[in-house]
Amino acid sequence: MNSPAARAVLSYVNAAMAIEAPLAATASESELVAQARAGAAPAREELARRHRESAYLLGLHLTGNREDALDVAQDALLRFFGALDRFDERRPVRPYLLRIVRNRVADLWRSRRVRRAESLDDADLSRQIADQRPGPEETARQAELRRRVWQALSRLPAAKREILVLRDFHDLAYAEIARVLDIPIGTVMSRLHAARRALRELLAGDAPAAGGGG
Amino acid sequence: MSTGCDRSFEEALLTGYLDGMLTQGDRQRVAVHLEDCQICRRTVEQMRELREATMTTRFATPPDDQWNEAPRGAASRLSFGLGWLVLVVWVVGVTGFALGQLWSSPESLIEKLLVFGGVSGVVLLFLSVLIDRLKTMSSDRYRGVEK
Repeated sequence: MNSPAARAVLSYVNAAMAIEAPLAATASESELVAQARAGAAPAREELARRHRESAYLLGLHLTGNREDALDVAQDALLRFFGALDRFDERRPVRPYLLRIVRNRVADLWRSRRVRRAESLDDADLSRQIADQRPGPEETARQAELRRRVWQALSRLPAAKREILVLRDFHDLAYAEIARVLDIPIGTVMSRLHAARRALRELLAGDAPAAGGGG
Repeated sequence: MSTGCDRSFEEALLTGYLDGMLTQGDRQRVAVHLEDCQICRRTVEQMRELREATMTTRFATPPDDQWNEAPRGAASRLSFGLGWLVLVVWVVGVTGFALGQLWSSPESLIEKLLVFGGVSGVVLLFLSVLIDRLKTMSSDRYRGVEK
């Protein structure tokens, strides 16, 4: 093992491992993006692992269908990695990826000749909730409110539903929402408010105590 | 405490207030108004409750083995690209050679024209698809995604 050839091989392996080492789950997002761009497969896998759930859930909220959501999310991830050279690593990945998801959903509707403005009447998002039984820490009323909120969200037009889920579920800031929806940041608040009002009106016209009574 | 709402600002500011997205001046304006207006206070509370319900919902997500987005590494992409290039060169070369051989063979002109006609049709169809793809690339909506 002490031959020059063996030492050269060992040093090469060590160097390769040193490149892979910082790719642990603790690496920052910008580090991962930089390494993924340089071709490090583990960095790409880690980025995909961190963000695929968000991509899937936005796909689910926009399509109402699990298979479509998975297709859209996987396709969006592939496009994201395909366009990595154009991505500015100082920016967060999630809004960028969610914008691709949204565009993919628009493509999907277009290919099926479905009007984007339509609601998800056939696909009730409340049926996709992971566990609908109230947990020990919450009351049955909260679980019921959650179910009714997602039922009402399914009935909202797509434009209102998407801005609501981006803010209230995906917890994006207004600037990030503007980037995902490709709208001026100044219009986010008014659109979001109109969507919240529409949701409250739907719930109020629907049931006994919508959103705590109104 | 007033019974009707006499706010002097856009209602949408209530949403900005709830989300903590207002400037200091607007936040103070809304806060002062809320102290006195039961209607707007109730609106904000309802929106807060709906936001909580939305935010705390958990959805089932696909298990790990259903994900096959496996992003390609540089080596894989390079070999994929080279593979296609070699294949195209091979197809063009073999087709050209075969057509050359046919043209110089003693077959009748009609047979030659039939073969050339068929091959030309396939090439034209391929070119039309290629041109469409190139046009689409130039207006690719994903190219503009946040540079």
